[in-house]
Amino acid sequence: MLAVIWKDLMLEARGRETIASLFVLGLLVLVLFNFAVDVDASNVTSVAPGVLWIAIVFSATLALGRAFAIERENGCMTGLLLAPIDRGSLYIAKLIVNVLVLLVFEILLLPFFFLLFGLQVGSSLPHLALVTLAGTVGLAAVGTLFALAALGTRARELMLPLLILPLQIPLLIAAVKASDLVLKGGSVLALGSWGNLLLGFDVLFVTAGWLVFDYMTVD
Amino acid sequence: MISALERIFLRIAPPVVGLLFLVTIWCVFFWVPTDAALGLSQRIFYYHVPAATVAFLGFAAGGLASAVFLAKGRPEWDMAAQASISVAMSFATMVLITGSIWARTAWGTWWTWDARLTTFLVLWMLFASYGLLRSFARGTELGSRYAAVLAIVGTLNIPLVMLATKLWRTIHPQVIGNPQGGIEDPAMIATLGLSMLAFFLLFVLLWALRFRVLRLGERLEILLLEAAEGRDRR
Repeated sequence: MLAVIWKDLMLEARGRETIASLFVLGLLVLVLFNFAVDVDASNVTSVAPGVLWIAIVFSATLALGRAFAIERENGCMTGLLLAPIDRGSLYIAKLIVNVLVLLVFEILLLPFFFLLFGLQVGSSLPHLALVTLAGTVGLAAVGTLFALAALGTRARELMLPLLILPLQIPLLIAAVKASDLVLKGGSVLALGSWGNLLLGFDVLFVTAGWLVFDYMTVD
Repeated sequence: MISALERIFLRIAPPVVGLLFLVTIWCVFFWVPTDAALGLSQRIFYYHVPAATVAFLGFAAGGLASAVFLAKGRPEWDMAAQASISVAMSFATMVLITGSIWARTAWGTWWTWDARLTTFLVLWMLFASYGLLRSFARGTELGSRYAAVLAIVGTLNIPLVMLATKLWRTIHPQVIGNPQGGIEDPAMIATLGLSMLAFFLLFVLLWALRFRVLRLGERLEILLLEAAEGRDRR
C-alpha cells in the first residue's frame, strides 16, 4: 500500500503536470467567476466561499480522472490488481494520493483566493484549512471510487463529472456554508451541523469506497 | 412457478390498472370536494403524491436489489434493480412536472429551492446519471457492478442530501410557507388511498414488463451467440 502511494507521489513530484494544470484551472475559475457574478465589496463575503469551492470541485474532477488513467495508459492496472494486497487498501492508497495532490493544489490556490477577493487572512486561515481538508477528503473519496467506474465506460472523461457531481452536492453545500462561517470569523469547532455533515459525508464515503471497491475490479 | 405467476399477473394487471385509473380520475374530478384554501389546483395532489411515493419506493427497491446483486452476483438481481430504477425514474419525472405546474398556480413560481424540492431534484439527477452509466457501459458485467455501486452509494447519500438541504433552508428565512396541511375529509383520504393503489399497481406492472424485456434481451443475446458458434462449427 505504501509502495503504491510512494510510486504515485514520485510520479507526481517528477512530472508536476497535474498540480500545474490544476492550479491554472483553479485560478481561471476564480477569475471567470469574478466576471460572471461581478464581485464587489458589498457581496464578496457571500460569494467568495462558493467560488472557492466551485474552483476546487472543478479542478478535483480533473485530477481524480487521472488517478486510474495513468495506470491504464501504462498498462499497469493488471499489475496493481495482481499485487498481493487487499483491493480496499488499493482504494485507500489511491485516495491518499488524490487527497495529497489536491491539498498541494489548494495550498497554492488559497493565497490567490485571498488576494483576488480582497479578503483578510487574519485568524480564519487555520479554520478554513481544516474545513478545506474535510471537504477534500469527501470529494476525493467519491471521486476515487467512481474514477475507476468512469474509466470502464465508453465516454470516460464525460462520465466522471456526471457520476460524482450529484453525489457531491451535500458535501458541497456543507463545505460552502462551513467556509462561509469560518471566513466570517467563526471557529471550526463551532460549525455545529455543518461540521457534522462534512465529517459524516467523509466517513460514509471513505467506508463505502473501502468496502465496495473490491466489486468494481475484475477478478 | 414464478414464470406462471408472472404470466397470470401480466394477463390480469393491465385491465385492473386501467379500470383503477378510470375510477381514480372520476373520484379526483367529480367526487372529492374542492380544497377550501388551495382550490381546484389541490386536485393535482392525487397524482403528485402517489407518484412521489412510488418513485421513492422504486429507487429504494433498486438500491436494495443492487446490494443483493453485488452480494450474490446473479444477473437477475441486476436486471430487477435496473427495471425498478428506470420505471421509478419516469414516475420521478412526472413528480417534478406536476409539482412545477402546481407550484406555478399556488406559489406563483415554477420552482423554488425549498429543501424537499431540492432533495428530489438531486435524487432525479443522481438516477439520471445512473441511466447514462448504464447506457455507456452496456453489456459488460463490470458495467453492471459500477451501476450497482452507484445505486447503493446514491441511496445511502439521500439522508445526507435531505439533511444538507434542510439545514441550508433553515438558515435562510422560509419565504414560502409549507403547503402540507393535513387532509381530513374522508373523501379526500379515500381518493388519495385509491390513487396510491392505482399508482403502486401501475409501477409493479411496468416493472414486471421492463424486467421481462431485460431478461428476454439477455436470452436473445445468448441464443444469438450460440447460433453464431453453431455456424462456425459447421
